[in-house]
Amino acid sequence: MRNLLVYVGAIIFTLYFLIPLYILVLIAFSPAKFTLESLYPPLYFKGFTLSNLVYAFTQYNFIHPFLKSFFVASLVGIIAILLGIPAGYGLSKLPGKLAYAFIVVLLITNMVPGLVVAIPISVEFIKLHLFDSIPGLALVQELVTLPLAVFILQGTFSAVPKEVEYQARIDGASTLSYLSNVLIPVALPGIVAAFLISWMFSWDEFTYAVLLSPIHPTLPVEIYFNIERGNELAAVAFSLVFTIPVIVLTLILQKYLKGEYLAGGVKY
Amino acid sequence: MLAFAFYPSARAVYLSFFTSQGKFTLDNYKELLYFNLYGTIENTVILTVGALMLQLLLALGVSSILVREFRGKRVLSTISIIPMGVATVVAAITFSFIFQTSGGYANTLLHYFGLSGINWYFNRYLSLFIVMIADSWKNTPIMTLIILAGMYSIPRDLYYAAALDGAGPIKRFVHITLPNLKKFIAIALIIRGVSEFNIFALPLILIGYSPSILTTLAYSLYSTTTENLASAAAVVILVFVSVLIALNIKLGGKR
Repeated sequence: MRNLLVYVGAIIFTLYFLIPLYILVLIAFSPAKFTLESLYPPLYFKGFTLSNLVYAFTQYNFIHPFLKSFFVASLVGIIAILLGIPAGYGLSKLPGKLAYAFIVVLLITNMVPGLVVAIPISVEFIKLHLFDSIPGLALVQELVTLPLAVFILQGTFSAVPKEVEYQARIDGASTLSYLSNVLIPVALPGIVAAFLISWMFSWDEFTYAVLLSPIHPTLPVEIYFNIERGNELAAVAFSLVFTIPVIVLTLILQKYLKGEYLAGGVKY
Repeated sequence: MLAFAFYPSARAVYLSFFTSQGKFTLDNYKELLYFNLYGTIENTVILTVGALMLQLLLALGVSSILVREFRGKRVLSTISIIPMGVATVVAAITFSFIFQTSGGYANTLLHYFGLSGINWYFNRYLSLFIVMIADSWKNTPIMTLIILAGMYSIPRDLYYAAALDGAGPIKRFVHITLPNLKKFIAIALIIRGVSEFNIFALPLILIGYSPSILTTLAYSLYSTTTENLASAAAVVILVFVSVLIALNIKLGGKR
């Protein structure tokens, strides 16, 4: 009886999570007359076609937005790690109260509304020739991801017992060699999580991208533009290619995406 | 990095008090009132609170299932993380096909049961509700991750003891699960809450500019009028978010 309830719940949630994706696949692979052109589109496959995808990829420029998204996201992930590791290490060494204050300030930065900052930044970026560029967009997205990355890394580093560092020091390790030979390997799952979360955030990011990089858009913005122009099939096809790799990545790296990292500051 | 965030914010505040000719003015804010500022604020608050509650409920539901041992648990935990990999824009597009003004997949389903179709955007509450649903679909996983971590941290013995004392499942949930999850719920609400307030791509694609919320209003002003007016709208967002942040810090301090 109890188990039955669990299964009913599990099935309902499974449907809830999967149905929207099913609809997306349905539209992408069905002839348009069964999907977008009919008033009450059937909920199952009435026909199968690849022509939507072929049409979208031959008629519209897809590869540039895809690459732009990819490079920006990777740059965001790399910067987040490079700056996040020293910052997280530093914070994990500070006394609790002080570190907490720092983290609060960091998270405030993380909370500043995208639209508020993006509008003045766009003015500055035009002057600095960063407008519409990959590094420019990556730097701005870092505003949101870096605090989160530092937060995650700080939590992970704090979880490493102090004795490990003392032992390394006794064995004559400098700060740098302690970091690279001991701490980073030990804290690797947290570092991977921070990288992934930054990467995925940037891949998904829309507000800054649409305001700061409208001429050579990233993929989400390109999809949005296509919707606005009424090229819905192209948008669906792009969405599909945009989504599948990330879902696969998410599933492979599932074990690194844990709530513990996000709750890094919670003291048990 | 602080300079990176605070300088532009300050600049937005500054811009909002000047005309495009560089004279000091309060007219930008007066002009905002013509764009139904109060209604917009109301919509934003309804959307934020509604979406947060919906996500929290769903996350509590999913995690109270995932915290148990049963066959197929791995499958469910894998599936429950999938929406995280789906971009917001993609989620928005998909939901725009499901809920349409006439026809669409949700109406097909109603049709199967012999019901007539609904215009899913016929008033603003329904429109906002559609955005809440789409947003919750996308963001329940991240909430679930945090809540689930919290649930695992509760010792199972507490439940056995309560069961022995004759507490039913609902009582156990209210008296054991919720109090022990408080910190985690707070973290989840902080992480989600502010980004919920800044929600932009979803409403832009699903409902466009009406009913308007603060972010879509600021964006439409940015692309159609002066920077100064858009900044004024942005400052209104900033004020609300600052209040939220202050609230968070206050609550956070009590923990």
